[in-house]
Amino acid sequence: MSPDFDELIGTEATGAERAKLREAHDLLLRAGPPPELTPKLRAGPNPGVARMQHRRRAVKRRTLVLLAAALSVAVVFFAGYAVSSHRGSGGSKGAIVKTLELKGTATVPNAQATLDVWQHRDGNWPMTLSVTGLPKLPPRTYYEVYLFRNGLPWGSCGSFVVSGASSVLRVSLNAPYKLHAGDTWVVTRVTVGSEPGKTVLRPVPA
Amino acid sequence: MRKNEGDMEIALEAPRLRAVPSPDPAPTLDSSDAELLARVGEGDREAFELLYRRYVRPLFGLALRRLGDRGHAEDAVQEAFAAIWRSASTYRPERGAAGGWLYTVARNAIVDRLRRNGLATDAELPELVSNEPGPPEKAEDSYVAVRVHRALEELQPREREVIELAYWSGMSQSEVADYLGLPLGTVKTRTRSGLARLASLLEGEEL
Repeated sequence: MSPDFDELIGTEATGAERAKLREAHDLLLRAGPPPELTPKLRAGPNPGVARMQHRRRAVKRRTLVLLAAALSVAVVFFAGYAVSSHRGSGGSKGAIVKTLELKGTATVPNAQATLDVWQHRDGNWPMTLSVTGLPKLPPRTYYEVYLFRNGLPWGSCGSFVVSGASSVLRVSLNAPYKLHAGDTWVVTRVTVGSEPGKTVLRPVPA
Repeated sequence: MRKNEGDMEIALEAPRLRAVPSPDPAPTLDSSDAELLARVGEGDREAFELLYRRYVRPLFGLALRRLGDRGHAEDAVQEAFAAIWRSASTYRPERGAAGGWLYTVARNAIVDRLRRNGLATDAELPELVSNEPGPPEKAEDSYVAVRVHRALEELQPREREVIELAYWSGMSQSEVADYLGLPLGTVKTRTRSGLARLASLLEGEEL
């Protein structure tokens, strides 16, 4: 899916100029896409919130004291929260229990993703996939996230499409299975009505 | 849960020492990184803002690669810029390029964040800007990404747009032309000029 250098540049540039362009092309492919900034980072450094370092340290010390005092309150709060979560009430997903980094295969070498697996609720493990570098697919084709166990596909955890924008895509998924140690996930490219497709993202080896 | 909002604000403490003399009355978009860093060392917030705009995306990319979590990466980048503000006066241009210094500061902030989160040890983020030859491929890729993303920030927005679409959207040039509502020839010209500018920037910079 990487752009073809000759198609991009055509035949106009030759010799040293072409070699220079080629080098920039190769570096772009190697670097991969730049990330989409978070709103906070996009807003820039804000002098209005600037504080003197020693003041910040003093605040930190005070915060530690307050944190200790608040700890007991928090324990009570989280205990109540855990109980209400167990009963199936709405709200946040709880804690991340596993984070998996995935990297594009030869088909999409610049793609990368992070998969966060959240604490299960009633046997369902919510997951968040943050992915960049996956291309838009033709009609009737989509990406599917598969749970892999012992090197084999165990079950689907959801599917998604990419609109073509270069920003980070975040999708919510779910693993409705009893997870085991060693379980992992891959992202595949699937066409409607056909067998599980080609793997496009696989876990980065630890 | 993963963020301490009050802890992440950028602390601006007036540095006491100057790194190198700053010859111009005000920083501009044409100012070099070293010039901006010298001004930041004198407490110039405008220079800091310019430096931030140039490096925030590359450094966020670096942090994201290593931390794998946008929240942690955001914190690490904010800590990195706070450290840049505090220690810009210690930068000495004769010891290396400003980009390399900024990379090292950011890398240290990321390592600190990794340690704090108990995610990794130093061995997982080897020192790149050092005298040791043969840096590991992973670190080198991160370094290349920072250089390339930093250079992308220097392109004209219209060039950067077509480059990003051509390389990372999966669209063909015809599709890019349709998407942007431009003639195909214009897209090809902008892609070529953007690549040429990128090549010059990467050739000239010494991150």
